[in-house]
Amino acid sequence: MMKFWNKRIKLGVLTENLELEDEIKSIQKEIKDKVKKKFAGSLAIRMVDSGSCNACEAECNALSNPYYDLERLGIYFVASPRHADVMLLSGLMTFNMQPHVLEAYEQIPEPKWVITLGDCPVMAAPFEQTFAINAPADKHLKITHHIAGCPPSPLEIMQGLLEFLRKI
Amino acid sequence: MRFIARYAKDKGRVFEIITVYDTKVEKEQVHKENPVITTLSHEHLAALWFERKMQDDFGIIIQNAFDKRPLVHQEQFPKNLHPMCKDFYAKELEQSEFQPYDYEVINGDGVFQVSVGPIHAGIIEPGHFHFSQAGEKMLHLEVRHFYKYRAVEKMLEGKTLQEAKPIIERISGNESIAYQICYRDILLQASQQELPQALQKRHAFLLELERIIHHLTDLGFIPNDAGFGAALALGSKLAEDARRKMKELTGHRFGFGAIDLQNKFVDTASLHEWLDAMLESITYFEDWITDIPSLWDRLDTTGHLPLKKAVKYDSVGVVARASGLAIDRRLNSFYLKHGFELESELSGDVAARFKVRIAEVKNSLKMMHEFLEADESSLKVGSVADGEYMSFAESSIGELFMAIDIKEGVIERFFARDASFMNWQVLHVMMRRDIIADFPLINKSCDLSYAGNDL
Ligand code: SF4
Repeated sequence: MMKFWNKRIKLGVLTENLELEDEIKSIQKEIKDKVKKKFAGSLAIRMVDSGSCNACEAECNALSNPYYDLERLGIYFVASPRHADVMLLSGLMTFNMQPHVLEAYEQIPEPKWVITLGDCPVMAAPFEQTFAINAPADKHLKITHHIAGCPPSPLEIMQGLLEFLRKI
Repeated sequence: MRFIARYAKDKGRVFEIITVYDTKVEKEQVHKENPVITTLSHEHLAALWFERKMQDDFGIIIQNAFDKRPLVHQEQFPKNLHPMCKDFYAKELEQSEFQPYDYEVINGDGVFQVSVGPIHAGIIEPGHFHFSQAGEKMLHLEVRHFYKYRAVEKMLEGKTLQEAKPIIERISGNESIAYQICYRDILLQASQQELPQALQKRHAFLLELERIIHHLTDLGFIPNDAGFGAALALGSKLAEDARRKMKELTGHRFGFGAIDLQNKFVDTASLHEWLDAMLESITYFEDWITDIPSLWDRLDTTGHLPLKKAVKYDSVGVVARASGLAIDRRLNSFYLKHGFELESELSGDVAARFKVRIAEVKNSLKMMHEFLEADESSLKVGSVADGEYMSFAESSIGELFMAIDIKEGVIERFFARDASFMNWQVLHVMMRRDIIADFPLINKSCDLSYAGNDL
């Protein structure tokens, strides 16, 4: 274990977002106020994959690596839709997933918002319409905000979430 | 003989059934009026999903099979539709009446069922796991997938190889480079061209980079699923470092579009340095984590896949190698010349799959040094000849198989079999001695793809 602590001290704090730092600072107060007022101090996100290639999920997972460490902004990915404020929806809304996505949405308590993640849910990725795809997602759900990219990088996802917070 | 894949083609008045083994390819034709074939699942258990898929896709009847339930078509999928037939054109379907799926269960006094998914608690892909439980003990697990079924096979029909490429590289994001390499080999076969060595090395470098990104992610997540979060912090940091390297080299964090026929200049000196630093980090990681007995207490003996079963289910990839089965598509002269060593373990448990990944990261880094070359050769693709082509690659999960038929310059049939399609079918065997709390750990130790499986 000592080896670990030595390494840990040598590495120091890795969290970075040089590009975002100023922006974050300038709106941190704003977010905090908003998150505090609207989300009782923390914004809870339920990620739902409706038929992605998994790269969008991988980038969301990357948000918790030491470089991005999203949770320090009070934004959390939660295990159940019942704990969530926001559904973050990736993927092509497949025929087979559609009923389950809508069920998960039903389970989110009001007030609730849907953010689409990546080009898939708006049918802007290279995939084409087939009988097995029921995208775009806005045919089925009211979408408040969209984060574009294939996949959007962790930084772009963070920026997208900040934009969303400004919007509502 | 190792079974690799089984799939069908609509050839007008007949269906052609292709069965691929490691040593041969068999073809059989059946008339559409009486489309009956005999199951292979008694000799090769993994043939089962292929045959159930054929039944959904084409309406082919599988004789003698012990399982005839639908596979791809779920509860609300319209009955008696076979979308892979050439005369199926619909681009939209209505959800039809809910018909319950008959799960494989074990019944008995005090035995109860636990249904999990398709939507899971973490940030992961959708799929369903159905457990028969006696208290904590898992008596049986049925894996049920195809929630992500996008009908990629149908989507690609009628497209040129060029048009198909952006879709093929997005079938499974974690394995994009491997899919692109399979595609590349088919393109080269169809245009009867040889790949210049320098390009082959660049592509091999990127495939190993993809592998270390995926393995490093897993090396963080597996201990995390056993409650050891510090490993995730370090593992995900290293994975992010490697992913940024992918971005630097290809312009994309997952290497989408990276496998082209134009070699790019790379700064080999700084890359050698980077590889050395990476090796140092992973060696530290190994040294550190090997020293944590409470972690190994969870990993050792958990999720055991005996060699006999791995063979019986024709398993591939990390899963097979961790059970002592020497299968790796990189076992050829090109890779051996550049320092490839087949990494394997014998214990077949979560610990073995973890250790194989560490060893493979180290071996990949060693090969990547060899693959580095400052060379700017390129290749122009000639015209593509009609024909039936097949290719293989070793993705970070395992053996990937792809087949493309080209007719009149466009894709007549596309088929891909992700390593996951084989290994999902053996997952239930790993649960026999464990409790349900071990399931996420066991599942993560295999880290199979849902998107690549469902297509
Ligand atoms: S948007 Fe792109 S990266 Fe995201 S799931 Fe779709 S294809 Fe994959």
